[in-house]
Amino acid sequence: MHFYLPVALTSINVLIPVGLGLAVGLLSGLFGVGGGFLMTPLLIMFGIPSTIAAATDSNQIVAASTSGTYAHWRVGNVDFKMGLYLLAGGFIGGLLGVQGIKVLKAMGNADFVIKMTYVIMLGTVGAYMFIESISSMRKSKTQQVKEERESATGRFLKSLPLQTHFEKSGVTHSVLVPIIFGGIVGILAAVMGVGGGFLMVPVMVYILRMPMHVVVGTSLFQILFNCIEVTFLQAYTNHTVDFILAVLLLIGSTVGAQIGAVFGRKLKGEQLKVILAVIVLAVTVKIIFELTLSPSLLLGQSGGH
Amino acid sequence: MATACAVLLLLMSGPASAALTVTPNHDHIDIDFFYHGSTVSIEGVSDTGTDLVMKIAASAGHQSLRKKGKVAGLLWMNVGELKFDHVPSLYSLHSTKKISDILSEGERDKYLIGYGSLGKQTVIQPVANEADKTKWFDEFVKFKEASKLYAETEGDISLSVSSGEQHYHVLIPWPYQAAPGDYIVTVYAVKDKKVVGTAETKVLVEQVGLVKSLAVMAKNSAALYGIISILAALVAGFGVGLIFRKGGGSH
Repeated sequence: MHFYLPVALTSINVLIPVGLGLAVGLLSGLFGVGGGFLMTPLLIMFGIPSTIAAATDSNQIVAASTSGTYAHWRVGNVDFKMGLYLLAGGFIGGLLGVQGIKVLKAMGNADFVIKMTYVIMLGTVGAYMFIESISSMRKSKTQQVKEERESATGRFLKSLPLQTHFEKSGVTHSVLVPIIFGGIVGILAAVMGVGGGFLMVPVMVYILRMPMHVVVGTSLFQILFNCIEVTFLQAYTNHTVDFILAVLLLIGSTVGAQIGAVFGRKLKGEQLKVILAVIVLAVTVKIIFELTLSPSLLLGQSGGH
Repeated sequence: MATACAVLLLLMSGPASAALTVTPNHDHIDIDFFYHGSTVSIEGVSDTGTDLVMKIAASAGHQSLRKKGKVAGLLWMNVGELKFDHVPSLYSLHSTKKISDILSEGERDKYLIGYGSLGKQTVIQPVANEADKTKWFDEFVKFKEASKLYAETEGDISLSVSSGEQHYHVLIPWPYQAAPGDYIVTVYAVKDKKVVGTAETKVLVEQVGLVKSLAVMAKNSAALYGIISILAALVAGFGVGLIFRKGGGSH
């Protein structure tokens, strides 16, 4: 059965968005990412104009992350306090990032810088997570649960003012830490035009030292608010949110997020990290292929960045 | 339903072109919720011995597209915008025979029949030279053909003679990618490589019902539309969460 999408001005087989929603929602519930880095290119592949694909995806993520946050909150895996500090930082970072794009555009080679930042970020984060989680899986086998020796960065973070305890995560940090790192992710996400879940998750795991299961829930919580803001701005200023497409996607993604959350509880934190790392690396490779192979069409829709 | 209104007779020069009519089976395509393109059947009467060429086109406008190119000799990415002027958003040709065999180049250019003629009137900016322009016009056609909006189909108009009249008929798959708007169908009667008669009709594509309401709302009440989209997503996410709690019950 086909539905016509009133804003995208195209028709789509309903099974495609529902299926894509289910798959990406599953990843969302499992790993605490929005999945925009997968969903947006897939929608474009199925004939949705790029600007509408990105905006509608953020609308859909509102539903998936509500569903996922709720599932994780029920088992006590959302650190609201940490989430709010990250959000505050992310909000400021987003504003800075939008200005950054303007500067890049004025310089002329915005697209090059954005694409390169994206590939390098994805590659670095994926590779680091992969190596780190594999090696810590090995360590836990040999029962070397030695207390992490405090690194220089760790000591520096401890020396900052405004230290506070985050109960749910069981960590103590200066409130400046989540705000600053939330801000950095916010800047990068705005510049790259993505939600930034794939950056926020590693920040929470490796810098804030939060347990993986709380990371997933908390990440979804802050993604929810980010995507509400983005959806509204896109609908209001660019008219690029397709309501029908969003509904079809969220039918799949809300269910997928629940399944992902349940499934995630059965996996260990290290296993989750490895799988996420593999997905991020696979996306990196795909983008590298896209950049190097000759495209079949040399022209494309305008808009977005 | 739309028989009477669509018959238009436009007699051109010469005694040879006594009659040419064009009638679509429907001149009004409604885009509703389940729309997935349509099929338009067009028929008419023409003088015996004439060949036919049919052009379906939206009025010429301009379009900006991003162009891809190699950066640093290695990486493909967007390298700027190209502006195309005097190009229709939809352009589809149909005929009884190979068009270059039945119509001279001069006539094709005069009536804008064929990609070649369309390319001549198109203005592309910025391009370095004529070769560059040709290259990008070809890419433009490729882009449009990929989204089914441009097509050159030759030999798909069928002819039959009954009671001394020549009847023609063609079935045209109407792409769902075609945006709402007016589309002009022009039939050219062709003889001795010249156009000897033309007739015209219109196909109107329009959004109706829920599709129209949503499209209008997205444009005209953007803030409300955004808020509704967000609320619907929140309710759906929360609702599914509740269903799973009741259904699952394991934790």
